[in-house]
Amino acid sequence: MLDIALVSLIQDMSEKAGVEGTIQYWLRVGENLARRMGKEAYMGWPSFNVALREGRTAFSIEGDVSALTDLAITDVDGDVVGYIYALKRCVFQPTILRIRYSVGELPKADRQVAEEYNNTVRNSAVCNFCVIHQKFREEVAKNITVADQVLECYQLANRGFLGDTKTDEAALKKIGVNPEYVRSLLRNYACVYAMLMKGARLKGEEGSR
Amino acid sequence: MSKETQITRLIEDNPFVDVAAYLFLEDIADKQGPAGMNNYLVSLANSLARSMPEEEYKTWEEFRSALASNRSILTTFEDVVLPTENCIVTTKCPFGRGWTEYTKRIGNFAKVHTDVAEYYNTTVKPSVVDTQCIIHQTFRSAAAERIKVGGKRVKYAQVAAVSEYGVRKIVPEEWLPILLNTAKISRTELNMILRNNSCVWVLYTE
Repeated sequence: MLDIALVSLIQDMSEKAGVEGTIQYWLRVGENLARRMGKEAYMGWPSFNVALREGRTAFSIEGDVSALTDLAITDVDGDVVGYIYALKRCVFQPTILRIRYSVGELPKADRQVAEEYNNTVRNSAVCNFCVIHQKFREEVAKNITVADQVLECYQLANRGFLGDTKTDEAALKKIGVNPEYVRSLLRNYACVYAMLMKGARLKGEEGSR
Repeated sequence: MSKETQITRLIEDNPFVDVAAYLFLEDIADKQGPAGMNNYLVSLANSLARSMPEEEYKTWEEFRSALASNRSILTTFEDVVLPTENCIVTTKCPFGRGWTEYTKRIGNFAKVHTDVAEYYNTTVKPSVVDTQCIIHQTFRSAAAERIKVGGKRVKYAQVAAVSEYGVRKIVPEEWLPILLNTAKISRTELNMILRNNSCVWVLYTE
């Protein structure tokens, strides 16, 4: 019930504080949520991936996340420095459906907040909730170490409830993954992102230097 | 049960959205204090009720049937049983899942949720355990205003609530006789209901 009540407030908030105000609120919520979850440390990628599978990491709150272990990200020396992860169902989808069958339709502010975010912050949102969610992921990554290396998260691609998609071509080039391959992942997943060791020297970056 | 109702029952909210909502409210409390957070909760619940369609029923029996089968806006988010004509019992708090996910992933439920409840109990109505009750009870009151039975507006009154963690809040002693009379249950029956349910309330027309 709280999720639907919150969505009904978006319209009011956006009318009073502007969609920019809502974005600021959402970014802070994503940051606070990650901070409150605390820090995590893993011996290596296998232990992180097992923790993810067993629902023990902060990321597990998202739902059904798969580590695509066939898509390891390697650095210039060929060492594995990260993986691509895929979320089966958007965290906001159940709320969208619950709104559809209880209230009737999503407030217009949902689309307005997403568009404002795409125009002013980063072109990666398919709904207003992407603002909280993507910020949360970025901040959680900073709280996790794998083999004593702090992680960073790159949003790669996502698919909205209506089928619209966003793909970050620059991030894909950086980690050296074909955009067409990631688009094909969106047939079966709602959101695709990469987690890698901060500061890793990637092949894609070498090529662009 | 209608097809739509069945679908709604099947969809569970995602814990990420629930926990984010709690943190959003805590952020409000940090900046605006208990009074500001209380205003947000009331505004949030009223917005939700306003966004839902109005309802009209020819008879009280028809209305009760809609309540019991989750077809009324009043019971869209909660499962209820109706022990008497006017008494409604919520079997499980609809905020329970969010609270459980919060305590599982974040830790203790922030104290501000009970601080704001105290503010509400002192300044509005002594009937809530925590902030979740403020949203829920305000929503019920605003939603009831949108329903007519036999041409008359439905009125709502809270009798008692039990939080997910077992804390009870029963309305003041001096209010109880008239509310129990409206509910057509005894004080003993109220305590029996509260043992394994989450909320007792009454609906009536004047």
